[in-house]
Amino acid sequence: MRPLRLLSSLLKRLGYGLALMLGVTLLSFTLMVQFGPDKTFELLGKNPTGEQIAEVRRELGYDRPFIVRYGAWLGSLVRGDLGASDTTGEAVAPLLARALPVTLALVLPGYLVGNLFGLLLGMLAAWHRGGAWDRLVLGGSVAGLSLSFLVIIILLQILLSTPYGLDLFPTRGWRVTDLSSYLHYVTVPTLALIGVTLGYNTRFYRAIVLEELGREHIRTARAFGATGREVLFVHVLRNGLVPIVTRLLYSIPLVVVSGSLLLETYFGIPGVGKITFDAMTSGDQPVLLAVVTLTAVGFVAVQVLADTACRMADPRMAQS
Amino acid sequence: MNPAASAPALRTREARVGLALLAVLGLASLAVALGWLAQGWDQAIDDQWSGPSLAHWFGTNRLGQDVFDRALVGLLTAFSVGGIVTVGAITLGALLGGLAGWHSGSAVDEALQYLMGVIDSIPIYLLAVALAFSLGGGESAIILAMVLSFWTATARLVRAEVARLREREFILAARAIGLPAWAILGRHLLPNTVHILLVQATLTFVAAIKTEVILSFLGIGAQDGVSWGLMLAESTQDVLAGHFGNFLAASLLLFLLLLGLNLVADALQDAFDLREPAR
Repeated sequence: MRPLRLLSSLLKRLGYGLALMLGVTLLSFTLMVQFGPDKTFELLGKNPTGEQIAEVRRELGYDRPFIVRYGAWLGSLVRGDLGASDTTGEAVAPLLARALPVTLALVLPGYLVGNLFGLLLGMLAAWHRGGAWDRLVLGGSVAGLSLSFLVIIILLQILLSTPYGLDLFPTRGWRVTDLSSYLHYVTVPTLALIGVTLGYNTRFYRAIVLEELGREHIRTARAFGATGREVLFVHVLRNGLVPIVTRLLYSIPLVVVSGSLLLETYFGIPGVGKITFDAMTSGDQPVLLAVVTLTAVGFVAVQVLADTACRMADPRMAQS
Repeated sequence: MNPAASAPALRTREARVGLALLAVLGLASLAVALGWLAQGWDQAIDDQWSGPSLAHWFGTNRLGQDVFDRALVGLLTAFSVGGIVTVGAITLGALLGGLAGWHSGSAVDEALQYLMGVIDSIPIYLLAVALAFSLGGGESAIILAMVLSFWTATARLVRAEVARLREREFILAARAIGLPAWAILGRHLLPNTVHILLVQATLTFVAAIKTEVILSFLGIGAQDGVSWGLMLAESTQDVLAGHFGNFLAASLLLFLLLLGLNLVADALQDAFDLREPAR
């Protein structure tokens, strides 16, 4: 009976995920195409005739009803055809495929280390709940929450990349050929990403660890002589895995998307965030539409995966 | 919970510091709004990049304008953008969350939850980019984007609370004596969600200010006038040449405002036992 129920709950989740994806595509298409700027006159020469205007409008699909245009766009999206950039004429799909590895190489180290540091600091604070360490970590995290991403970036740049500080790293750019040049360019952005997420991460992990530490299985483990390290890294971690994995996956859009948008714009790194920024300044509709839609669809896919993983790991969740 | 219950929570040392910060910064921005302070912010009043002095606490910028005056005008921008976004998002969240919770389990509830799911799948920065693209940029596009994006967090919490309260005896009693739904909502349900709205308002305020700074820096937000995001954008060139006035003034005020809000948000969350996993 149970596998069947698990399967049906998974199918239900998948169906809801597909419905969400459909809603996301509808919303981004409506926002950016239906209410977007009229491109007719960008494509026309001076003093166009009535027929020329009608011709261009027909090419752009403006004469067809909304639902037909949305359907046609959705069809090409499913086939992986994202159209071509308005500014360069290049196909959008390979453009993004080329930029994505750069973005991942840029944000992954900071994302992972930020979560790891957050976990360790959260453990430290929770273990010494109410003590000096706890107050220090909590105070630091409130200060961290109050710093803007932008302020952290500029501060790190002054300290690490200018003659007024240590002047160790480049102020901008991404000429990565090998490991040492990678480290050269990725260090300051990584530190910035850690800085901006550490406050949130620490509070989250502290709350998770505190909740687990209060449970009875921990008391039992301690009664059986488990050391503090075993309690924290085995018993607490294993039981806190579901919320931790959920958070890791759910924070991807904020950290990866927002992080790459600001970091790549600031440091001039040719990833997805820079492409998005450039498309915005030049009004490149196909590129913007593709980025917004694919990010949202990808996020829904991550949610479904996270949910599926949690349900399989914890049979109690399959009931809900 | 009675909002008066928040009074003791705001007597901790951290909360007092937070409230004091907010009071000072609030008064300063009021003085700017009323025209008592920082009125020469758009005039070149001295040499460019004159260092800090008694007349210009953070020196002057590239155009010879007083940096601290501009940072104070940025404070007013932060308060007004944050205020509009907070009022908009909290009102929308309370109304739609209340509606979904009151009809929890019905098609209305399902539809509203689906809508929240769709909106939550689009990161705020991309929603702002999309709206700025279709509306042609400017402060109103990013305010709209933030309201559209931020209301769902409040709505989910209000929905859960109202759905829970709806089954409680005092609400059943109110329904049994024939009180109309709007009266129950206004007299019994809304006052019982005020603590959620208060906490969410402080958190939304923080998010709105942070987002506005970054969007303005990226050129999606304020184009004329003064925003800390624009000052920080200017400072990225300045700091390479050794001029730190813009950076220090904008980040100092930004930090103090966010710190004040975060300290008060923490105290409120502790008081109402509303500590949810930080986002």
